[in-house]
Amino acid sequence: MTAAAVAFEPHSLLALVLGSFFGLAFGCIPGLTYTMALALILPLTFTLEPMMAIGVLVSTYVGGASGGTVAAILVGVPGTPSSAATVADGYALAKAGKASITIAMATICSTLGGLFSLLVMVASVQALSNVALAFGPAEIFALVVFGMATICGLAEQSLVRGLIGGVIGLMVMTIGQDPIDGVSRLTFGNVNLLQGVDLLVAMIGLFAVPQVVSTLFEHKSGSSTIVDGKSVKVELPKLGYIWGYRWNILRSSILGTVIGAIPGTSGTISAFLAYSQEKRLAKNPENWGKGDMGGVVAPETANNAVTGGAMIPMLGLGIPGDPATALILGGLLIHGIQPGALLFVEAPDVVYSLYMFYGLAYVLVTVIMLFGVHLFVQALKIPPHLLAVAIMVLCVVGSYSLRNSMFDVGSMIVVGFFGYLLQKARIPLTPILLGLVLGPAMEREFRTAMIMSGDSYSILLSPIALLFFGMALLVIVMSLVGMVRSRVPKTA
Amino acid sequence: MTFCNLKSLVLANTMGVLLVPGMALAQADFPTKPIEMTILFGGSAQTVGQVLSDEMSRASAQPIVAVSRPGGGGAVGYSYAQATAADGYNIVWNSNSISTVYYQGNLPFNYEAFTPIAQIGVEVPVVAVQSSRGWDNLEEMVAAAREQGQPLRVGVSGLGSFTHIASAALFDKFDLDVIYVPYGEGRAPAELLSGRIDVAVQWQSQFQSHLRSGDLLLLCSTGAQPLEHGDVPTCHDAGAEGLDITMWRGLVAPEGTPPEVVSYLEDLARTATESGSFADIAVNLGFTPAFLPADEFGELIATDDAIIGQLMTDLGLNNR
Repeated sequence: MTAAAVAFEPHSLLALVLGSFFGLAFGCIPGLTYTMALALILPLTFTLEPMMAIGVLVSTYVGGASGGTVAAILVGVPGTPSSAATVADGYALAKAGKASITIAMATICSTLGGLFSLLVMVASVQALSNVALAFGPAEIFALVVFGMATICGLAEQSLVRGLIGGVIGLMVMTIGQDPIDGVSRLTFGNVNLLQGVDLLVAMIGLFAVPQVVSTLFEHKSGSSTIVDGKSVKVELPKLGYIWGYRWNILRSSILGTVIGAIPGTSGTISAFLAYSQEKRLAKNPENWGKGDMGGVVAPETANNAVTGGAMIPMLGLGIPGDPATALILGGLLIHGIQPGALLFVEAPDVVYSLYMFYGLAYVLVTVIMLFGVHLFVQALKIPPHLLAVAIMVLCVVGSYSLRNSMFDVGSMIVVGFFGYLLQKARIPLTPILLGLVLGPAMEREFRTAMIMSGDSYSILLSPIALLFFGMALLVIVMSLVGMVRSRVPKTA
Repeated sequence: MTFCNLKSLVLANTMGVLLVPGMALAQADFPTKPIEMTILFGGSAQTVGQVLSDEMSRASAQPIVAVSRPGGGGAVGYSYAQATAADGYNIVWNSNSISTVYYQGNLPFNYEAFTPIAQIGVEVPVVAVQSSRGWDNLEEMVAAAREQGQPLRVGVSGLGSFTHIASAALFDKFDLDVIYVPYGEGRAPAELLSGRIDVAVQWQSQFQSHLRSGDLLLLCSTGAQPLEHGDVPTCHDAGAEGLDITMWRGLVAPEGTPPEVVSYLEDLARTATESGSFADIAVNLGFTPAFLPADEFGELIATDDAIIGQLMTDLGLNNR
């Protein structure tokens, strides 16, 4: 009860509103992420009351995790890596004139996923934090391999092209200091290359630059299509429409929460896993990637369910699941709040206030976004070539501000140029992104496991690891079988 | 912006010509624009750096702005700052990483490329084990490790990281067969709880809640002085004679920064470090404020550099 009282106090609510807006803004803008939002807002919380500080941090996190969708759907450039899985179907739907309903649907699913993970967190934080402990390097490696296997399902037309994309992604991530020995790879003595190609910089380059270049070419050739102002009308989903996706939402929520609870994984993996899982279960998988609402619902639900999942090991064990929760952990520690099993005994009011803030932040974000849809869709009225220029500016700002490095701006442009060429060569971009996201984790976890076992592969044979390896194999076999089947009638 | 800089430059030059030995006046000239503090790492190092820059800004005529330049174990930030003008407007929130990253072969220059400003505080690695193993002190653990007939698995933050070097210095004293398992920051305590490793050498703050719940136990701390909090012996007292590995954090500026500018920054650092609010926050983050003036800090950097160089050679990590 006291927790509810604290959460509804005027200045707590103010903190929540501020945090939500701040997080949303960073999430919406391609190139700015919620991790950055948290890093920027953290110093402001030093001097706040502990409860207000928690409110600001939690709502920034929630707002940022929800905002990434907007740019992914409207302009086809994900605001955060975890929204990358949304681009294929979300952008296609927006081009078909369904931008508003798609954004609204994504927001509602995000919230449902987030609230689901909150319920799980409240009910079983201490039990589930033991799940986190069960995942050592070998198990996480197996999970990452399973994630990699979904490339097979994502490669739309050609498995070979998909695999080429995945390998390119893996190769790019080997640049820089290796994660175990600190040996510099492919740096040619350049100190700037030591930091490698940042995932976000690569993502901005891959998704935004080709988009901008083709838009400008289309404009030059006069073939660009300007959306008629009247056709941009706001349409919100009805309850029955949402109800139609209940199983998709439930499955994706469970998947996202569980993945979130495993340290060292991220929203991006869960979004892609949810996408490929739902695509497999869908009645009309051939429509996926061309504008199926299920392809927006699944990744958006899962990547927000991760937020609650990631809080589980953070609160229960004091172990941050990703860079964003690490920053929240820092914010709590500054105020003398030490997460861990004892926190639930010694300061239950802190824990319950945190839950309240978390739930309230989601409600707030949903309200802001549903009103915001009216504003967001106006962006479609802007002539595409002007919008392209604005996107490019944001991309440059975003890549610079990530690590305050002009070098990253250069990297973004180089990656973007190659991304454009690859798109021309019909290499799909999503497998590249998966390679980028999963590559570093795959290498680090495998090598750590090998060091632990003294180079014995038997460490990879733990039950959990075997389960994931088995699932990876199943995914590969199933997609191969599906591919052969679809090809047989044509040749016959 | 450029115009303003030019103007102040011209002004400063004129002043310099007119008042050559005018130290007090030169001091009043600095700073005329915000000072950038390069932060090399994330995690608690970044948070302490931000708090420090906040506190220093309070005492300064111009704000001190914390700017993150992570990557390459510190190499990216060090290279950036080293290439800037030695005028005191670019300072680095540094640590022993200047030595580790140099000996790893990732920096073309060593600690001598920077002028020390002040040490701000220290962090001491601690040696933790699961309470259920029944090892009450370091010697019991060493004896058990000898008996178990397989190498001891020790979790550290990364190969060549400070916790790795501290562990190596410790376990070399007992001539034990050890496997160092590198985890990113923050994961070793969980791995220790799950029993996948036997020992974790990390910062004390990471173990705090598990110590209080009784799941983990600290055997010793690697510094020469016992920790302020908790009843933990030093490794030296626990049987690893002569062990003294402490990580310091402090501020440096590019080599050649004018002495009066350094002393201005040193004063700011002293005021900030000795303020009560900094101490409160720092302790919550597991950081022990310990101010040292520029000259003493410089000597410390040099001694530690030699020690770290030797340890890294012994570990086969010295690429110089």
